[in-house]
Amino acid sequence: MSELYREQLLDHYHDPQNYGTLENPDVDIQLENTTCGDTIHLTATLDSDGCIEKVMFEGHGCVVSMASASLLTEEVVGKTPEEVEAMDLHSIEQMLGGVRLSMGRVKCATLALNALKKGLEA
Amino acid sequence: MTWQLNTIRQEFPILQRTVNGKRLVFLDNAASSQKPLAVINAITDVYTNYYANVHRGIYSLAEEATQHYEEARRKIARFINAQSPSEVIFVRNATEGLNLIAYTWGRKNIQAGDRIIITEIEHHSNLVPWQKLAEEKNAELTFIPVSGKGELDISVLPALLEDGRTKLVAFTLMSNVLGTIPPAQQIIKMAKNAGATVVVDGAQAVAHFPVDVRTLGADFMAFSGHKMCGPGIGVLWGRHSILNEMPPFLYGGDMIRTVKKYFTTWNDIPYKFEAGTPPIAEAIGLGAAVDFLSDIGMENIHRHEQEIATYAYNRLLEIPGLQILGPEADKRGGLIAFSLDGIHPHDIASILDEDGICIRAGQHCAEPLHMCFSVPASARASFYLYNDLNDVDALVEGLKKVVKLLRR
Repeated sequence: MSELYREQLLDHYHDPQNYGTLENPDVDIQLENTTCGDTIHLTATLDSDGCIEKVMFEGHGCVVSMASASLLTEEVVGKTPEEVEAMDLHSIEQMLGGVRLSMGRVKCATLALNALKKGLEA
Repeated sequence: MTWQLNTIRQEFPILQRTVNGKRLVFLDNAASSQKPLAVINAITDVYTNYYANVHRGIYSLAEEATQHYEEARRKIARFINAQSPSEVIFVRNATEGLNLIAYTWGRKNIQAGDRIIITEIEHHSNLVPWQKLAEEKNAELTFIPVSGKGELDISVLPALLEDGRTKLVAFTLMSNVLGTIPPAQQIIKMAKNAGATVVVDGAQAVAHFPVDVRTLGADFMAFSGHKMCGPGIGVLWGRHSILNEMPPFLYGGDMIRTVKKYFTTWNDIPYKFEAGTPPIAEAIGLGAAVDFLSDIGMENIHRHEQEIATYAYNRLLEIPGLQILGPEADKRGGLIAFSLDGIHPHDIASILDEDGICIRAGQHCAEPLHMCFSVPASARASFYLYNDLNDVDALVEGLKKVVKLLRR
């Protein structure tokens, strides 16, 4: 798992992209990983075509959950909700630079994606 | 103890391996322990030389297997100073043992309006079964609170026990998170005087210090063979008078005496609670573990762990922003759960893993306990007879690396 902590991920952890909350969001969702205390509050706006325009997040958690969230906010811009729905663990692993996540870290890595999917459902 | 320590470490083949190119530093013994050659060989011996199903065979091999299986039971009975081997029931693990009590003794004896007392520091396995029992029977579930220092506030007990409604008191002999060792005999005496049945969770305790069930005075004790150098097996000890009165747990072969189409009679204890083919090799393996530990001496093991834990406690405090959960070094068993300001336990464990260091991160099956301490999760290092001061040094160096990587 040592690649997991390589510089890029640590950068995202210490200096996350799109950290904060959007005003008047189309998507507003909170999600928690209660077994370890990772939390995320995700807000997003959709453009006139219904695609993801901008995503911001706030939260507390481990490197994996926060870096994942930060990367996700960039990754999903321009995607349709269906495309987001189609994203899975493999997509997240690719997003994290091709790391293979151990079972214990899957929930951390997919927290933001799961939050976004849940938010888009509403 | 250094000379014996080196010999002891050589007995555990897994300690010779590397993880990610680094020496294996196994500090997750509270979850499960490594196995010495004596145990590995005992199990291989069973399958190589005398394996057969027990209790029923009329051939030499079966008799041999049965003899070894029952000898293992006797060893375990002696290890905890049980009155008789018939008080020792083999189960899958301590969790199954505790559930066994809840399903059999519990269902029969707990009525609406009764009270069950447990504590805030219990492992889920000694919490959830009683929670469900109380829910099912409309009984009251009350918790002995834990202080910020990790000690149980047993001053609440006398008032609670006064009304005679308390039918069951269940608590741990040693917390798997805080390392707290409650004043067991004191609690048990109060509970028994008030007419309550007492269950103790010995999963941590039995593996790490001498436990004598007759001195303790409890009615039941569940413990894990796999945490005490044994294979995947557990034990439920119960006083024979109480076991005799209990209905069976699982039904089927071997726990019966005679079976007619519509009526069955039960076997004597302990067999009444051992339905079906038992984990034969595992039981024998646990017997070998008992021999192994007894040769070294549980007092010696306890003392060794205290030394390691005290050293660790003091060294850990070198790390800025590190908070230890629970009591001071001299008031705890050989494990330390801690949090690092601004750093997530999962990250601590992952980074330590890069250096071959195995610790646990999460809630350690004690979510209410973590709520009491207002932390979502913690990291935990737990020691055993084969850990040494070098392991602690490696842990501390690893944590310094964690801080360097994750604090900017």
